[in-house]
Amino acid sequence: MINYYDPATNTTSNKPIDFNKDYGTPASTSTQTVCLEIDGVKITVAAGTSVMRAAAIADINIPKLCATDNIEAFGSCRLCAVQIEGMRGYPTSCTTSVKEGMVVSTENNDIAKLRRNIMELYISDHPLDCLTCSSNGDCELQDMAGAVGLREVRYGFDGDNHLDAKIDDSNPYFTFEPSKCITCSRCVRACEEVQGTFALTIEGRGFASKVSAGTSENDFASSDCVSCGACVQACPTATLMEKSVIDKGQPEHSIITTCAYCGVGCSFKAEMKGEEVIRMVPYKGGKANQGHSCVKGRFAFGYATHKDRVTEPMVRDSIDEEWRVVGWDEALEFAANKIKNIQAKYGRESVGGITSSRCTNEETYLVQKLIRAAFGNNNTDTCARVCHSPTGYGLKATIGESAGTQTFDSVMKSDVVMVIGANPTDAHPVFASQLRKRLRQGAELIVVDPRTIDLLNTAHISANHHLPLKPGTNVAMINAIAHVVMSEGLEDKNFIEQRTDEYNAWREFILDEINSPEAMESITTVNAEQVRIAARAFAKAKNGAIYYGLGVTEHSQGSTMVMGIANLALATGNIGREGVGINPLRGQNNVQGSCDMGSFPQELPGYQHVSDDVLRAKFEKSWGVTLDNEPGFRIPNMFDAAIEGTFKAMYVQGEDILQSDPNTQHVQAALSSLECLIVQDIFLNETALYAHVFLPGSSFLEKDGTFTNAERRINRVRKVMKPLAEFADWEVTQKLSNALGYPMNYQHPSEIMDEIASLVPTFSMVSYKKLDEQGSIQWPCNEEFPDGSPIMHVESFPIGKGRFAITPYLASEDRANKRFPLLLTTGRILSQYNVGAQTRRTANNTWHQEDLLEIHPNDAEERGINDGDWLGISSRAGDTVLKAKVSERMQSGVVFTTFHHPISGANVITTNSSDWATNCPEYKVTAVQVEKVTSPSAWQTRYKKFSAQQKEHFKRSPKKQKATIGS
Amino acid sequence: MSSSQIDNLISMLNQIETNNNYKKTDEETAMIVANHVKKFWARSMKANITKYADSDGSQLSPAIKLALAQL
Repeated sequence: MINYYDPATNTTSNKPIDFNKDYGTPASTSTQTVCLEIDGVKITVAAGTSVMRAAAIADINIPKLCATDNIEAFGSCRLCAVQIEGMRGYPTSCTTSVKEGMVVSTENNDIAKLRRNIMELYISDHPLDCLTCSSNGDCELQDMAGAVGLREVRYGFDGDNHLDAKIDDSNPYFTFEPSKCITCSRCVRACEEVQGTFALTIEGRGFASKVSAGTSENDFASSDCVSCGACVQACPTATLMEKSVIDKGQPEHSIITTCAYCGVGCSFKAEMKGEEVIRMVPYKGGKANQGHSCVKGRFAFGYATHKDRVTEPMVRDSIDEEWRVVGWDEALEFAANKIKNIQAKYGRESVGGITSSRCTNEETYLVQKLIRAAFGNNNTDTCARVCHSPTGYGLKATIGESAGTQTFDSVMKSDVVMVIGANPTDAHPVFASQLRKRLRQGAELIVVDPRTIDLLNTAHISANHHLPLKPGTNVAMINAIAHVVMSEGLEDKNFIEQRTDEYNAWREFILDEINSPEAMESITTVNAEQVRIAARAFAKAKNGAIYYGLGVTEHSQGSTMVMGIANLALATGNIGREGVGINPLRGQNNVQGSCDMGSFPQELPGYQHVSDDVLRAKFEKSWGVTLDNEPGFRIPNMFDAAIEGTFKAMYVQGEDILQSDPNTQHVQAALSSLECLIVQDIFLNETALYAHVFLPGSSFLEKDGTFTNAERRINRVRKVMKPLAEFADWEVTQKLSNALGYPMNYQHPSEIMDEIASLVPTFSMVSYKKLDEQGSIQWPCNEEFPDGSPIMHVESFPIGKGRFAITPYLASEDRANKRFPLLLTTGRILSQYNVGAQTRRTANNTWHQEDLLEIHPNDAEERGINDGDWLGISSRAGDTVLKAKVSERMQSGVVFTTFHHPISGANVITTNSSDWATNCPEYKVTAVQVEKVTSPSAWQTRYKKFSAQQKEHFKRSPKKQKATIGS
Repeated sequence: MSSSQIDNLISMLNQIETNNNYKKTDEETAMIVANHVKKFWARSMKANITKYADSDGSQLSPAIKLALAQL
């Protein structure tokens, strides 16, 4: 029997979403379904779906202009008018919800005439320069004129119009050309609903209404706009347009990949012309970002093809020599010989390496494998040492797994959100937008932070609590909060009884009066009643979620604080379902992944301890070598051993340790002591100034692989262009390993992932095939959780029951005193990223050209400091000079700076003080003095000289480089 | 091993001790410290501190001395 396809019986509720299609209005979350008929086609969709979306699901595409599916329906253009049996007139399909049995007609002569009239009015005030317009080929207005069959404009073009409206090109990445605006409000609504900044508005009424950034005095650059680009993406015409498209034309193909900036891990469509990226457009199917992005991910990709990229290997015997440009084989041979000679002379443990949290899982895995198998020791570490190593320690000790417990989407079910030591609007902007959306829906916010972070200024927020504690007193604060929960009987007794261990000892500890908010008030400087109010709000919430960042971990009690957070979540039963959880906001794109991949000196991939004979044997068998059963050096231990003279060589992939690690002069001393420093990076970074071998790296656009974001989501990274230096990083590591005599012969990163899956129990069912099918996978993904694990610890913890930890507060050793009366804390801003190696090589410098020292007006006045004054900042470790910015965001007694520019020397001031359990540096508390000065610091002068000398070594290398050093 | 390196190891041990000795006897604390060092310290760091403990040890607390004896 032949089956004919009959559209009339086509039911559609289970049809997969096509993320490249615009369905006009957002999806409904209802689980109820409704049947209706559109143009004779029977359709089943979720209740609450709009008629427009229902039609689009059935591939009936109703014309539209003001509707797009990432913002709520607005009903202003009226182009989507339809006729519905039993309803009068022409309802707009975007604002009309489906109803059971509804019968809809989307096309007939009356509707067609109505739509043509609407289009005719639009076009009567629109330039007719389609052929030379930047959105030619990607213009919804043009498409709709075609779709409705507009053939003439009877009104002529001589009347009043907006065709002379002035272009605003103040933003470095996009232009605003109001003559092309149809005032559909999509940009304004995207700014509100998607980004949550409310920078745009419609100014004026009727014919005079126009899109405005801020007030009429503002242009985009001077407005509150954070340049996320949501408006550009939402614009149906050329009004808001990427400058790259204006310059180069429409892209011709696109590839889905993952952003290489922060730990949110946004999915993007890299829209290409040949091998050139024209623009990055956030991909709606990306589960971490759902079609949104920030200024870095969307716009700041130009670094990848910046002239500073070094694309040829270089070697030299001493850092006082000029670089010699050599071929790959010679460079790798040179590096391998140095390593072998050093090991022969100083012993097996005299060398080590650092894996990169910027590189892929596969690349990180290979670097630690090279260190363990080819170097024959466990001297491997990664930049998580200086950011989230306490998360690893603290969460493993309490809940049994070193990772956040939720999806980002989980926040949409939270009732109270506690943000501790994190500044998501700047450091994790896309998550911040989602959090703000939830706050606008009514969730309460508790911020535990010394600074008044921007999240506290969220528009349309119902309630917020700010606990502005003194830096270094996190543990005192979390204990005080838990004390309130326990002493007021607000704990979740059921959860505690069924899911936790070691409760009684903790209960006794936390109930001790020393932990009460009143007792802690003198330490935290936060009013006890304020703490009680916030603690009650958190404990009484149906769903309470905790999000935290480096303001938690980068302390001498970082690990204790992480355990304190876990205690609070366990005591209030906020683990194991949507809307709750412990959520470390990871800094770098793949810092979760680099930890998972065995970058730490004591753990093989999958957090399997090197001293466990059974676990180690599994790796020994797979890798065909005997592995050291003792932990290796952490980064600071490597530095200490280098200065001591027992550690002589390092292989550093994709991390600028000189700029990012604390106590710069100590790091300089360590790097200068090395006999061989191998740096693999896309730029000649600050660390490379001390290197003997430079191996050119590849950007995320040049290779295949995976990144794992802060929600344990493994996302695919896809190659969109050839590596500029011929090889992807994984290939270079493999070649180095081969040169060292330990063979590696992977043909593609998918083979590396297969090996990982065979060795790491939480990855056992991860494969590229599955990643392509599912889009992304949240580990654990194994026989127990074959599709991955969005929410962890639903039934039990990997260690069975959650364990309460005793977390006494101890003061930071680096206390403010007479000589150093202020506390310095460091952090990041939106436009720049970490050491700035990428973002400083983009137009993001428009927003942040130098690091500034933010200081409270009282402290400034006491020292006669005004905005823009040069300030000398000194600590026990060193001193530097920065310009002043007087800021109310600071509390009195606390100063703040960023470390995005090398010459700032922010880390010359930070000390060797570190977390007791993991040696994570205490970046967030440094006692300093600040005073007005007239010249740069001695360090800055020396550093400038050294940097200039190194530039000469690079420029004058015998084979002339095309590139130049940037700094 | 220079004295500044030893000082560093001693201060790391002190930090581990003070973060883990709440209402504990020296013996209990020593076990926690010893386990931590076994689990996280590199071979040469253990060797250096043990050597110091055997030769001088004046700056080590009783609990830390007990811990190092367990390595």
